[in-house]
Amino acid sequence: MIMTRAIMTDMGRCVGCGACAVACMDQNDVFPEKGGTSCRRIYQMEYADGHGAVIQYLSAGCQHCDDSPCLIACPTGAIYRDEGSRANLVDRNRCIGCHSCALACPFGVPRYDADDKMLKCNLCTGRVEAGMKPACVRACAFGALNFDDPNKFQDDKESRYANGLAGAFAKTR
Amino acid sequence: MSRITRLAAKIPGPDTGIEVKKSLCTICDPLTQCGLDVYVADGRIIKIEGSEEHPFNKGALCAKGAANRQYVYHENRIKTPLRRVGPRGSDTFEPISWDEALDVIGEGCVSAKSEYGSESVIFFSGYTKYFRPYLRRLARSFGSPNYCTESSTCFMAMAMAQKLVFGAPGGPDMANTDCLMVWSSNPYHTAHGRGAAIDRALSRGMKMIVVDPRQTPTTSRADIHLRPRPGTDGALALSMANVIIGENIYDADFVSNYTYGFEEYREYASTFTPERGEDLTGVPAAGIRAAARMFATAGRACVMPSASPVVHHTNGVQNYRAVFMLAALTGNYDVKGGNFVEPPSYLYVSGKMKTQEEEFENPKPLSEMAARIGNDRLPVWMEVANGEAQAMLIPEQLRTGKPYPLKCLIGFGMNYRMWPDSEGFLKSWQNLDLIVNTDIFMTDTCRQSDIVLPACTSLERSELRCHAMGYVQLSSAAIEPLYESRSDVDIVFDLAKRLCPDDPLFKQGYRACVDWILSPSGLTVDELERNPGGMFLKNPIMPPERKYKNGARTPSGKIEFKSKILEKYGERPGFESLPVYTPPKYSPEAAPEMAKEYPFILNTGSRLPMFIHSRVNHLSWIHSLRSNHPAADINPEDAKSLNIAQNDDLRISTPFGSIEVKANPTEMVMKGVVHMFHGWGSADVNQLFEWDYLDPISGFPGYKSSLCKIERIGGARR
Repeated sequence: MIMTRAIMTDMGRCVGCGACAVACMDQNDVFPEKGGTSCRRIYQMEYADGHGAVIQYLSAGCQHCDDSPCLIACPTGAIYRDEGSRANLVDRNRCIGCHSCALACPFGVPRYDADDKMLKCNLCTGRVEAGMKPACVRACAFGALNFDDPNKFQDDKESRYANGLAGAFAKTR
Repeated sequence: MSRITRLAAKIPGPDTGIEVKKSLCTICDPLTQCGLDVYVADGRIIKIEGSEEHPFNKGALCAKGAANRQYVYHENRIKTPLRRVGPRGSDTFEPISWDEALDVIGEGCVSAKSEYGSESVIFFSGYTKYFRPYLRRLARSFGSPNYCTESSTCFMAMAMAQKLVFGAPGGPDMANTDCLMVWSSNPYHTAHGRGAAIDRALSRGMKMIVVDPRQTPTTSRADIHLRPRPGTDGALALSMANVIIGENIYDADFVSNYTYGFEEYREYASTFTPERGEDLTGVPAAGIRAAARMFATAGRACVMPSASPVVHHTNGVQNYRAVFMLAALTGNYDVKGGNFVEPPSYLYVSGKMKTQEEEFENPKPLSEMAARIGNDRLPVWMEVANGEAQAMLIPEQLRTGKPYPLKCLIGFGMNYRMWPDSEGFLKSWQNLDLIVNTDIFMTDTCRQSDIVLPACTSLERSELRCHAMGYVQLSSAAIEPLYESRSDVDIVFDLAKRLCPDDPLFKQGYRACVDWILSPSGLTVDELERNPGGMFLKNPIMPPERKYKNGARTPSGKIEFKSKILEKYGERPGFESLPVYTPPKYSPEAAPEMAKEYPFILNTGSRLPMFIHSRVNHLSWIHSLRSNHPAADINPEDAKSLNIAQNDDLRISTPFGSIEVKANPTEMVMKGVVHMFHGWGSADVNQLFEWDYLDPISGFPGYKSSLCKIERIGGARR
């Protein structure tokens, strides 16, 4: 049995370098000059508050929701859930380019290629089945992208927090 | 899983016929290269990944490295050797054979030698760097002192500053330090392996001070971020010294036993109170005090320098001397956790092994040759740089023919836009009889050349690299060279047959030369070839601490707060023996009249994560991260006050020229500064500099601070 795993973005580690986006295009033979788009996109957000600015980077991609609005909205059944990986995948042959998924997705994920077929992250299911990491995760230098059980990710995060809190408390004694 | 699915997912294996070959990325060249896993099917690359076993990149890549497949197969590759048929710069070439091309070059160099002397032939290396030992030997064996590289604008001035202070440069021992002071570098965007190493050190409790006018992922991880105005680093370092000496938290034992000139330095630094430091640099006095205290009292501390930002100023070497002196002042030189000295092994890297690279590179002493380019103007470069000519002085010597004429320019990866007043440099090429450029792509510099040679990428050949962690790699070719392209090393060896046919080592071929260079290490080409992904050294050399106790490699034999080398030229402005702070030549402080019309500080070439010089500007994967329309980064408040919005057309002007670019307001940039990335053909920012806007000691261009104005094109926005 394959454990449910997801690509988790650690916002504290992402530096907006774009390696994940390029690795995705290399893996999936996506070429922007032919109308293709990477399934990971990089955002640099800036918040100025008078005391200086905070710059936050984010590598964004499909969340592969359990209760997927895109899947529900798709009139042809082109979007389906892969039983093993629990990834939401697109059957290009069934996609009619109606953009219903675009209307439904709250995250703005679906994109359309030169043939107006929906293009999105497939969670590198072929790679994962062969024991490899998704291409974007593999490229990330800073551990900003992780492919794991979401609970494992939360365990790590909580233990980092616990360490910091316990350490700070210990110093006060 | 079916074979079809595995093929689509590019899974290696006998069923798919996909093989993984070990290679190295040299799109950028920080000297510690990333290992590559190259997925090859039917002789064609289908996918690139970082090698997980490689100790520097540990499986990861940056955006540029991940784009290697597009780089290798880009349509702009040069396919055959080319000879110019129309006038220079007309971009009319005919394909010729390798023999014909090499013969033309050989005859051109030999005839220049007989008429004007060997020194009339310049050998230049831009990127990459792996072939440099061989190119330098070619120059020397031919008899030319004029071997030079892109180190004329990068790295060397930083090394000179360290050599003037310490004698032997020391690198930051990040694994063992308690406090890392990153002085103007952002490895998270330029050398991700180093960024990841900082992350690891921070998680074990290392403190970090970052000095950088910009706001970056490195500054956001810092305990203290100091944001000086560009070019004021020296004043900032002297103010920190003022605090460290004034509060008596310096290493008195080290200073009294192992340094020279402390009393004069102390007296000079005493004038740089943190309040004066704040005036000069814009960094709050409280921040200067806090950083000084942290650096001096955190335990072991070290300075992580950068290759060019601090030394791309007209006061660059003096500024960096003042910075490195903080490591001396606190006794953090050549100790574990400080700026530790390891002797260089190969290609500038201290790889914990011994080679005879230096002996290989110098078959004849420079003293038997004419003076190098830049000799009269840059005596300190001639004394402490590593034997190269200073390429920034080529344009002047071409124009004047003094002290001797220059006739041939043999370039590898040469880009004329590296020079200030780049178009002026190009005009001076009319005085050359032969211009050769070797490159992977048909660049603008190739279009201005007489002979163009096609080099292959690092994935199509082998190269030798060593790494600081005691790892050495002789990479293998993942695919055969495309078209008629060849490895730069093969080109050098074929030129050697024509330029120095009697050279005893060149005659034995490349493999024999690598074996000869490696012989003190006990390694051989055969052994390395059996480990194409690289290998750890069996017996890495770990040098002892505090080697300066036996005498530092300076004229005084001590660490020098007051330079005995600079003392010899004390009457020349900028050559003061103390680390005297002078504002950049074109700055609001030094040129107030100019600043009235040109109120912004122009800072060029600060790194962005997706670019490295102009090397990947032509790749669509890279454009998808940042448009290939050149854009200037400006502060949002400045943008607002000038009524400039995102992607507006913008003109950047200096008294020497102007360029038109897009506007990109971002908080990364401090108020009053304009950051413009370099190397764009359609907006070459280096045209906005005079050819001699140079640091007097190193000859480095002052690219990181001049003055400019910016205006929105198309009138006021309604």
